[in-house]
Amino acid sequence: MTSTPIGPRWRKALGWTVLAVLVLITLFPFYWMLRVSLSDNRVLAANADSLLPAGFTLGAFERVLGLASLEEARAQGGSGASIDFWRYLLNSVLTATLITAGQVLFSSMAAYAFARLRWPGRDAVFFVFLTALMIPPIFTALPNFVLMRDLELLNTYAAIVLPFFFMTPFAVFFMRQFLLGISREVEEAARIDGAGHPRIFFRIVLPMSRAPLATLALLAYITAWNEYFWPLLVGQGEGVRVLTVALGVFRSQTPQGSPDWAGLMAATLLAALPVIALFVAFGRRIVDSIQFSGIK
Amino acid sequence: MTTHRTRHRSDVWPALLFLLPAGFGFVLFYAWPAVQTFYLSFTDYSLLAAPNWIGAQNYRDALGDARFGNALLVTVEYVVINIGVQTVAALFIAVLMHRLTKSSLVRGLLLLPYLIANVVVALVWYNMLDAQLGIVNAVLSWVGIDPVAFFGETSTAIPTIALVNVWRHMGYTALLIFAGLQAIPKSVYEAAAIDGASEWRIFRGVTLPLLRPVLAMVLVLTVIGSFQIFDTVAVTTKGGPVDATRVIYFYLYEKAFQQFDFGYAAALSVVLFLILAGLAVAQLRLLRAGSSDLD
Amino acid sequence: MHNKLSKLAALAVAVPLALVGCAGAPGGGSGSDEITYWLWDANQLPAYQACATDFEKANPDTKVKVEQFGWADYWNKLTTDLVAGTAPDVFTNHLNYFATYAAKNQLLPLDEFVTRDGVPTDVYPQGLADLWTTQDGKRYGLPKDFDTVALFYNKEMLADAGVAEADLANLTWNPQDGGTYEKLIAHLTVDANGKRGDEPGFDKTKVAVHGLGLDENNGAGVGQQMWSMYALSTGWTYTDENPWGSHFNYDDPRFQRTMAWFRGLMDKGYLPSLATARSGTSVNDGFGAGKYALSTNGSWMINSYFGYDGVEVGVAPTPTGPSGKRATIFNGLADSIYTGTDNREGAWKWVKHLASAECQKTVGEQAVVFPALPEALAVAKEKFAAKGVDITAFTQPVDEGATHLYPITDHAPEIAAVMGPAIDAVLTSQADPASLTQANEQVNALFR
Repeated sequence: MTSTPIGPRWRKALGWTVLAVLVLITLFPFYWMLRVSLSDNRVLAANADSLLPAGFTLGAFERVLGLASLEEARAQGGSGASIDFWRYLLNSVLTATLITAGQVLFSSMAAYAFARLRWPGRDAVFFVFLTALMIPPIFTALPNFVLMRDLELLNTYAAIVLPFFFMTPFAVFFMRQFLLGISREVEEAARIDGAGHPRIFFRIVLPMSRAPLATLALLAYITAWNEYFWPLLVGQGEGVRVLTVALGVFRSQTPQGSPDWAGLMAATLLAALPVIALFVAFGRRIVDSIQFSGIK
Repeated sequence: MTTHRTRHRSDVWPALLFLLPAGFGFVLFYAWPAVQTFYLSFTDYSLLAAPNWIGAQNYRDALGDARFGNALLVTVEYVVINIGVQTVAALFIAVLMHRLTKSSLVRGLLLLPYLIANVVVALVWYNMLDAQLGIVNAVLSWVGIDPVAFFGETSTAIPTIALVNVWRHMGYTALLIFAGLQAIPKSVYEAAAIDGASEWRIFRGVTLPLLRPVLAMVLVLTVIGSFQIFDTVAVTTKGGPVDATRVIYFYLYEKAFQQFDFGYAAALSVVLFLILAGLAVAQLRLLRAGSSDLD
Repeated sequence: MHNKLSKLAALAVAVPLALVGCAGAPGGGSGSDEITYWLWDANQLPAYQACATDFEKANPDTKVKVEQFGWADYWNKLTTDLVAGTAPDVFTNHLNYFATYAAKNQLLPLDEFVTRDGVPTDVYPQGLADLWTTQDGKRYGLPKDFDTVALFYNKEMLADAGVAEADLANLTWNPQDGGTYEKLIAHLTVDANGKRGDEPGFDKTKVAVHGLGLDENNGAGVGQQMWSMYALSTGWTYTDENPWGSHFNYDDPRFQRTMAWFRGLMDKGYLPSLATARSGTSVNDGFGAGKYALSTNGSWMINSYFGYDGVEVGVAPTPTGPSGKRATIFNGLADSIYTGTDNREGAWKWVKHLASAECQKTVGEQAVVFPALPEALAVAKEKFAAKGVDITAFTQPVDEGATHLYPITDHAPEIAAVMGPAIDAVLTSQADPASLTQANEQVNALFR
């Protein structure tokens, strides 16, 4: 790496530049969302090419947080629906947390069986698990909805959580690939000490996989957080309604109608905040656990 | 796959135990609906009345369905652009991050688009890319470029949709690859550095082979996911102009929930399932995903 | 959670052929003393909530739960709930879905109730109530509102062009040269250099303001707010009869000439290209941004068009065509009862209340849509006027008999699937208007 004295520095500068451009492309739409969320729907169209908010107002955020009255909301070009933001936030946190906890644990267990245990038909069964990825969600939603109805679980947290609680093909696949990379010696040493599989899994394999586990948990949480159609089907009841479903009122209400742009963007940004906070917390954890890879 | 060493006993029982919860979820929420869909693909089923067994008629119809063929083609065009750009970009970002910074801030920023739901991402870009009112065209006009109807032209609609989804998934994919890079022992790089290998040689000779299990996973996952492109189309072009963006899932959805031809849609989904499974097998073989050169 | 899990485990083995066995099974609804009612427009939610409160006062033993879902979610969720037998007792119905749902026995015929309670069905503007009867004469909904199409215009642009607003009431149109209507559109079109569309030196590649806006929605086979007002004013009709025609007329020269004229407007730069119209924002936002001087759209869009700050808006009726009459599609919504309801009487009582003058006047008060009953329409007209909106341009065709019922036929979704791409192809110049003859054959083959 030190073969040319100037090279690495230039390469570094170039690398940072490219990274900065990519970050910029990533961030611009977010700036745009913020700009729209601080705008007034009634003058948004006329000021489409302005980089600044059109008719600056916090009205959209007030509407999302349920602080605006019906008349105010409609006067701002928003819809007449009111929402109980904090209640729905709590529901989202609850369901996403449950989903993440179950999914990460059970998928890791399955991944352990696929990556570290020897049994006949292992790879075939793994592939069958993988095919779950290929079933279009529109074909699972209906039977699963009917199942929830039969279990009398409609409008419960359980209905929102269950289909994602035990596994997702992604989570199993993800963890399997990482567990494949762990060296056998560690495990075998433990086995010589008389440790059984549960002990090896919980005491050795899981702690060694902190980084991928943190990554997986984060991704699972985000996915659960953004889940829309399924909770709309099974969790419309006021008590269990999650944020994404509640914020649906900011989308187009009528066949040719436009969405409540300012409201939709404000809602989207506010709904993303808790997850961003989570990432800040988790991000550290991922960094802290980087050293695990030296174990080999 | 890992060679079977006879000194190990078979772990059938522990394996069953470890698979129990995930297997339960798999059978109930994936396998069982899949079996039903498979059954329905042999029926005339309108969703709102009992299904009638019609044998392979749906499959015969699918063979002669020019719009299904078009949908496949359009989808493949989407997948090639989407996966091509996304994989290269993500790999590039992951390696850059790995070499330049351990900062979780950069990773966090790049992951931000993944926090926004598909539908909203589509709406925001649809709005930003409008030919007359979109900010992107406003910026282009400042530098003297004529407005482009990105989503509206037959020729640019699919590439636009593909790139919008690259925007959403680039950081996410990079994060997966980055996690794989972290798992490569430092000692390997140190050895390569001592040999005085160039950056490119290290990437080709060390990073890429050791990254294979993760890369295989990323490719299998993103290709399958890419074939299921739906939300962006449903929110923006709705299959048009003409049939330019009538991707296969959108076509399926129209058949199943707008035309109430659920049986036929089920048959198309079985065909698609077979294509995807074949692709996945090929990818896993090619990339020897089961083995890592570390082992 | 634990309890649920063991229950789930117990049932997992015995899960019936869930999807198949329960298709359309009755027994849904929401408890016998509660009626669930769905609608999709959040802007109408307060009005219907008020109707529900009044209803509950008069019927203390029946509660009404009003639920609202945005347009796209509404139909996906409704279909799922119909399949699972958990659909709402009463829901707002749309003509796109009505025929299919009726044919699949998802809707309760209202005839018995209507006759028994002597509910009048002849109080609506002509034909409105007929939209909701099937071929066998059964009635599946009572009209709640109606809509027509008219021409929105930007007052300032008209004044700049020296056009008197009153002139817009006397526009004529024909498919050959577009009549005074096209002259107006051309005159209102302005390029980047300030040259008008009817002036020499007009640059059609750099248009700043299009005379007429193009609706971004796929007009499919109906073109309700896109081209129907022209085609229908030639004397052309969609089908051999309406409702429930079984032969479409997209091969008629009058229709194809209309489409050729419409595409010609794009070629001349008076109308944005299809690509531009579909590239992102809606036609009303383009209007609000001052990109269009005129825009044809439905009455349900009034509040959108009048909602832009700094844009003075007026409404004129659509132009008079070769038939000597103007034309607009006449359409509406109705409330239907789900067959699976476990409280038919309660559901009917609620539907009857929704169709009553009392509830419709409450809806009219909100000035969002036009109630179906004339006396409630009068209330709405007053309330719209109070907001500065004169709705005469929308109601005049009804009085003049210039309305055409929305084409109600079987196979509507399949027809849209054929005609949508076919008309796109014509409007993007990938195909000739004559190609619509072939599309027409495909459509008519559905009825054989």
